[in-house]
Amino acid sequence: MKKSIYILLFALLVSSACDDGFAEMNVNPTKPTQVSLNNKLTAVVTYISGERYENWRAQQIYQSTMMQQQAALAGYWSGDKYLWNKGYASSLMDRYYGNAIKSLEDMLIQVDAEEQPAEMKSIIRILRVFAFSRLTDLYGDIPYSEAGKGFIDGILKPKYDAQSEIYADMLKELEESAAALGSGTSQFGSADVIFHGDLGKWQRFAYSMMLRLGFRLMKVDEASSKAWVTKALAGGVMNSNDDIAFNYHDNNVWNGNSSVYNADGNPRLSKTFVDFLQAGNDPRLPVLAQRRGDGSTDPADLKGLPNGWDSSILLEETGEENTNNYAEINRGNLAAPEAPMFYQTYAEVEFMQAEAAVRWGIGSDPEGHYNNGVEAAMQMLALYPNSVAITGDQISTYLAANPYDAANAIEQINTQYWAATFMNWYETFSNWRRTGFPVLVPTNYPGNVTGGTIPRRLTWSTSEQSNNTENYDAAVAAQGADELTTRVWWDVN
Amino acid sequence: MIQKLLKLFFVFFVLGTISMQAQTTLVSGTVTDALDGTTLPGVNVVIKGTATGATTDFDGHYSVEVSDPNGILQFSFIGYTTQEVSVNGNNTLDIAMQASNEALDEVVVTALGIRKEAKALGYSVTQVEGSELTVIPTTSAINNLQGRVAGVNVTQNATGAAGSTRVIIRGSSSLTGNNQPLYVVDGIPITNQTNGSAGMWGGSDGGDGISAINPDNIESMSVLKGGAATALYGSRAANGVIIITTKTGSSQEGFGVELSSAFTMDKVNTDLYNYQTQYGQGQFGEKPVNQEAALSQAFSSWGAKLDGSSVPQWDGVSRPYSYVGNNAEKFYETGFTANNTIAISDANETMNYRFSYSNLYNEDVMPNAGLNRHTFAINAGAKLADKLTSNVSAQYIHEKVDNRARLSDAPGNANYSAGLLPPNVNVNFMEPGHNEDGTERRISSGTFTQNPYWSAYNFSNDDLKNRFIGSFTIRYDILDWLYLSGRAGIDYQNISRTGVTPWGTAYQPNGSMNVSNIATTQVDGDIILGIDREIIDRLSISAFVGGNSNTVRNETLTVGGSNFIVPGLEDIGNLSSQSRSRGFSERALSSVYGSIELAWDSWAYLTWTGRNDWFSTLSFPDKEEPNDDFYQSLSGSVILSEAFEMGSAINFLKVRAGYSEVAGGADAAYQLALTYAIFGNGFLGQPLGRINGSQIPNSVLVPSGKTEWEIGADGRFLENRLNFDIALYGNQTKNDIVGVGASLASGYGSALQNISIIENTGVEILVGGTPVRTDNFEWYTSFNYTYNSSEIVATDDVDSEISLGTARSRNVQIKQIVGEDFGTIVGTTYVRDDNGTIMYDYDPSDPISVPRAITGGQDILGVGVPPSIWGWSNTLTYRNWNLFFLIDGKNGAQIYSGTNMSLTGNGLHEQTLAGRETGLEVSGIDSNGAPFTTTVAPADLAIYYGRETGIAERWVEDADFIKFRQLSVGYTFESKLMDKTFLEAVSINFIASNLFYISRSIENIDPEAAYTNNNAQGLEWFGLPSTRSYGLNFNIKF
Repeated sequence: MKKSIYILLFALLVSSACDDGFAEMNVNPTKPTQVSLNNKLTAVVTYISGERYENWRAQQIYQSTMMQQQAALAGYWSGDKYLWNKGYASSLMDRYYGNAIKSLEDMLIQVDAEEQPAEMKSIIRILRVFAFSRLTDLYGDIPYSEAGKGFIDGILKPKYDAQSEIYADMLKELEESAAALGSGTSQFGSADVIFHGDLGKWQRFAYSMMLRLGFRLMKVDEASSKAWVTKALAGGVMNSNDDIAFNYHDNNVWNGNSSVYNADGNPRLSKTFVDFLQAGNDPRLPVLAQRRGDGSTDPADLKGLPNGWDSSILLEETGEENTNNYAEINRGNLAAPEAPMFYQTYAEVEFMQAEAAVRWGIGSDPEGHYNNGVEAAMQMLALYPNSVAITGDQISTYLAANPYDAANAIEQINTQYWAATFMNWYETFSNWRRTGFPVLVPTNYPGNVTGGTIPRRLTWSTSEQSNNTENYDAAVAAQGADELTTRVWWDVN
Repeated sequence: MIQKLLKLFFVFFVLGTISMQAQTTLVSGTVTDALDGTTLPGVNVVIKGTATGATTDFDGHYSVEVSDPNGILQFSFIGYTTQEVSVNGNNTLDIAMQASNEALDEVVVTALGIRKEAKALGYSVTQVEGSELTVIPTTSAINNLQGRVAGVNVTQNATGAAGSTRVIIRGSSSLTGNNQPLYVVDGIPITNQTNGSAGMWGGSDGGDGISAINPDNIESMSVLKGGAATALYGSRAANGVIIITTKTGSSQEGFGVELSSAFTMDKVNTDLYNYQTQYGQGQFGEKPVNQEAALSQAFSSWGAKLDGSSVPQWDGVSRPYSYVGNNAEKFYETGFTANNTIAISDANETMNYRFSYSNLYNEDVMPNAGLNRHTFAINAGAKLADKLTSNVSAQYIHEKVDNRARLSDAPGNANYSAGLLPPNVNVNFMEPGHNEDGTERRISSGTFTQNPYWSAYNFSNDDLKNRFIGSFTIRYDILDWLYLSGRAGIDYQNISRTGVTPWGTAYQPNGSMNVSNIATTQVDGDIILGIDREIIDRLSISAFVGGNSNTVRNETLTVGGSNFIVPGLEDIGNLSSQSRSRGFSERALSSVYGSIELAWDSWAYLTWTGRNDWFSTLSFPDKEEPNDDFYQSLSGSVILSEAFEMGSAINFLKVRAGYSEVAGGADAAYQLALTYAIFGNGFLGQPLGRINGSQIPNSVLVPSGKTEWEIGADGRFLENRLNFDIALYGNQTKNDIVGVGASLASGYGSALQNISIIENTGVEILVGGTPVRTDNFEWYTSFNYTYNSSEIVATDDVDSEISLGTARSRNVQIKQIVGEDFGTIVGTTYVRDDNGTIMYDYDPSDPISVPRAITGGQDILGVGVPPSIWGWSNTLTYRNWNLFFLIDGKNGAQIYSGTNMSLTGNGLHEQTLAGRETGLEVSGIDSNGAPFTTTVAPADLAIYYGRETGIAERWVEDADFIKFRQLSVGYTFESKLMDKTFLEAVSINFIASNLFYISRSIENIDPEAAYTNNNAQGLEWFGLPSTRSYGLNFNIKF
């Protein structure tokens, strides 16, 4: 009797040792199973704006110096001397896929699952096109249709899509998204830190992006290019500085470029850029620049550093031992933590309209558009914190001294475009490749990997060679060697 | 009437007793050890053929009433040969007993604390006595296991005195998961996670859980190696189990006090350093011209030949340009390690207890670093009632660690700065590390290389740990063949960790700080119902069935941030940007298990075990795939020496074989579903949301499975003067739960999957014996050897490679590759032609062209884990003197030395002396394939070597070594002397460890100098240098 009681007791105890409550225990109590689309949107904007990491490497070290708007002596500023630091070159790719692209693909699933209004989906699609456009313009063929879908579709090794197909899809996305937008306020509301829910601005941004991407096709498929440019203008592009696509930053999330300036004292303004501003007595010069040594913004004190130099060349050429006498970014406004990050400006749109009129006769009054563009480019600097606004008088004086020159219109328009995209060097680089203007004299530093030519792209992440070997190899076979000199599809000549 | 009868009865009874007494003889005497004459307490003295007997007291005295003057007294005691002596009418019988090495009926501790006779086991168990672990005081008891047990690979690496230890039994079975064994202390598993390790970007080793157990409290450590041994512990024991039994009061009868003390002085082993001492600081063969140049050439030893002239240095002071001596000797201090324990114990028939207090104090060779650990432990057992016994074991450990050293990458790493200083720059002048205003006193223009004194004295990396480990066991013998036992235990630890990058640090001028509180609780309970009885004449059965529940809960609270506002005030409130986070995880394991052991006539044994584990980490609401697995094992042994008649030379011979399966679950919780997070501090007033984590979860995860077979034999010959144990094993793990690398374009870094097959095969050999034994002298020697061959048979369906870790140079990593060993070293190589000639970037037509080796693709350069390890220990005793030494070695592994790479790139390595005066001749082929030979000018040597540093192939070298690891010479005072005092036993030993290398194949670093103890073995980069220790230990018993 006693025996059986014990055995029974034992069996009872043992049988309770099974998996009661295990399923609930393995649900993470500290993390939600879903968060609002609004919260994700704000985060995506910070991802697109970028952190210090990719802004330092891909944007500044490479593109700002290749485009001769900044210059630096230090050896690790590879773009200045056309040296190849693979990790720096791939930095945008290293960051965008894991942050922006993954979130955007996730949001597209959520917006459908939650049956949210079409306008929200349009906004997400427009941002997605913007992010992918930066990636494809910089690298060429990239993972696009299968990207960011590691969890959604279990695709661990996405294929690289041809840039031609990516462009076709991006333009289609912009067309459809713009058509689905009207006017009014988005449900995103203030979570939309770019346009604060203004659907009209989103629509104009979509068409302005269509204008930009359409124009890119100019060299490789002129007919298609003209068609998209026409469509964009018909749809309605940005019409004032109020339509600029940008967002401010704050103390919690600094502007990535400002973080670079805070950590790195090496970059100066390039002689090419400063000379251009000096030549025109450009009122932008004292707003954009200051002298390194004492912070003076007097144009007489501002001179640019030539690209492609190091400290021994500096000593040889000028006898200077340091670069304190050269101009650097104006730290008070352009490098402030809350500084805005620009994605596309009204000035650019006006310049593109001017070019469309000159090149193809689409639209009219190129001079008018050119002047609007210059005016807009100068006035928008007021958006920077602590900025001294450029007055209407200064602008008129400048335009009078540097009038529109129909004989060299394309060069003039795109040189102003180059100046206007200062600090959005992704766009500077793409437009220079498209047009060839302004004419930049390459440097030829010992050990450079481009044979003394300005690079035409940046290179893919080296991790792809081992983590996505088949698709990487296929992309190299399709586009060409994974080097800085290989041209992307639309940059055909 | 009745009363009268009773009185009569009483008288007869007394008379009868007296008369009975008158017929017996009282025999008494003293029992001693034949070898040294010490008295032996606790010896059983039994009148043969009866149950009458006595035991010797603590003086070795006994007395027993013998009725038959020709009766025989039987003296027996574990560890000694039983003796039978005829009384022969004597009243006094003094006996000297002979020790027998490894008594035939040795008892070992097996799974679940069940003690079994070693002969019954079908699997391999090695038991190590506590005394073997206390020879040299260390900060972690498990370090003294190195070289002693076949099949067990112990490495401490260069993580510092408070660092963790890596213990691998029979090869690693998981590609990326935990490969360390389960540690069980007095029946309950303890938490052994490593709280952080160094990686590519630096960091420090956070220590582990097993280090908290004081070796002086360990009675024995039982290593269960194979699947059959561990099947009863389930999935947590898939990598083996180390069972630690702490000392109880019953090892000696009566009240006793024991005092043990051991201390050593530890010095950096400067024999390893082989730097060049002829050329000093500078570049291009020239001395620095001013302070600025000296700062910018801080670690560059490409200067001029040392000539004693006055040359400016980093602080603007000019000093003689001569060799100042070994900077490691100057910078590192003499360390000190002391372990003191006092224990009080008592025992009688119904209860025993042992209470101890110990203190471990260590000052590391790194200045301003060390640890101080206090342990209070109690182990008490009691017989609560007739059939009810219980035991309580509890420890409280309070530990403070100061300044765990930073390893690997340069920032904050004093080893880096001190290790790369040019031969004419004296590190002592860099003290103090700070300026008057509290900022770092810069020794280099590179912000990421610190003044070593700044790193050692101003950075903080402190731990305060409070830990409680307690277990309670109770056993009720329902019948004499049926028992019920239960055990419950808890391991609670709370670590408060503070890390500070000080205000004024060159690369982070405003500093940063964080404080974490990590609380880990593990609760474990078992209940077992068992039987032990004879079924028929020669067949007996021992079986049990049981259930187990185990829960681990972890909560981490971290506050921190950057930018101190008030300089020098190291408080969280003084940070301008603050962040806070909380981490939490909980997982549980539930099991039902059983075992049946059949024994035939005490020479044949067969054991079956079965267990079903349920894993919370594989559970999820609405998941259909199983979250549990059932697995079994079967093992048997035959004692040939008892089954058959073998020669007298063979005392014991047993063969054994076993096959086992074990299941494994995910190590971490919350891996099955995707979750999101609101993160950061918002942006422009809006909350930020995103997907949580960069690993793709797997909702259909199932348990992994490991199978193992083992065959072995062990025997004793020539009257136990020779013994051997040999085992052959093979194991295979399938469906390992691994994070498979994904393309970054997928948005994720990895995906969790059940993939892979990994196999290990090997042999373990143990041979020991007593070659010399005379009356006064004995020499016992033991040699163990292990060979383990591992292979990654498959990963996923496209044979992906899995990366475990990368070094700071980013050109070498540890990877799992299909068809190769576990943990291969993969790195950049030279480009060579078919004859193996190296290709250089060199233009023969350009007079200033310097040949620079072309960096080729990545290739396999070696393996990080040595397949062969062996140890040889010797004990020599002459009367009261004893000498012990242990030599061990490891072969077959390679190591990537970031230190040697940096030394060469900076001109400190001895090989860079070649060509400093007349140039270095380099031959190779140029990028067109044309051969060339040229002389690199002395000023260009840095350019030539600079390129070499990027080629990992050159820096991967063999890590083979043979080390004279431990030495102990001591004296045990004679018991006769002790009798006159209140002391019971006193012994004193001179001890030394890591005295010298008998052979090693790598320069400047210890071959065991990797900076991490995780799966990525084989990467070395400025860890702590290895040390030699000398000291004393003594033991006094009252």
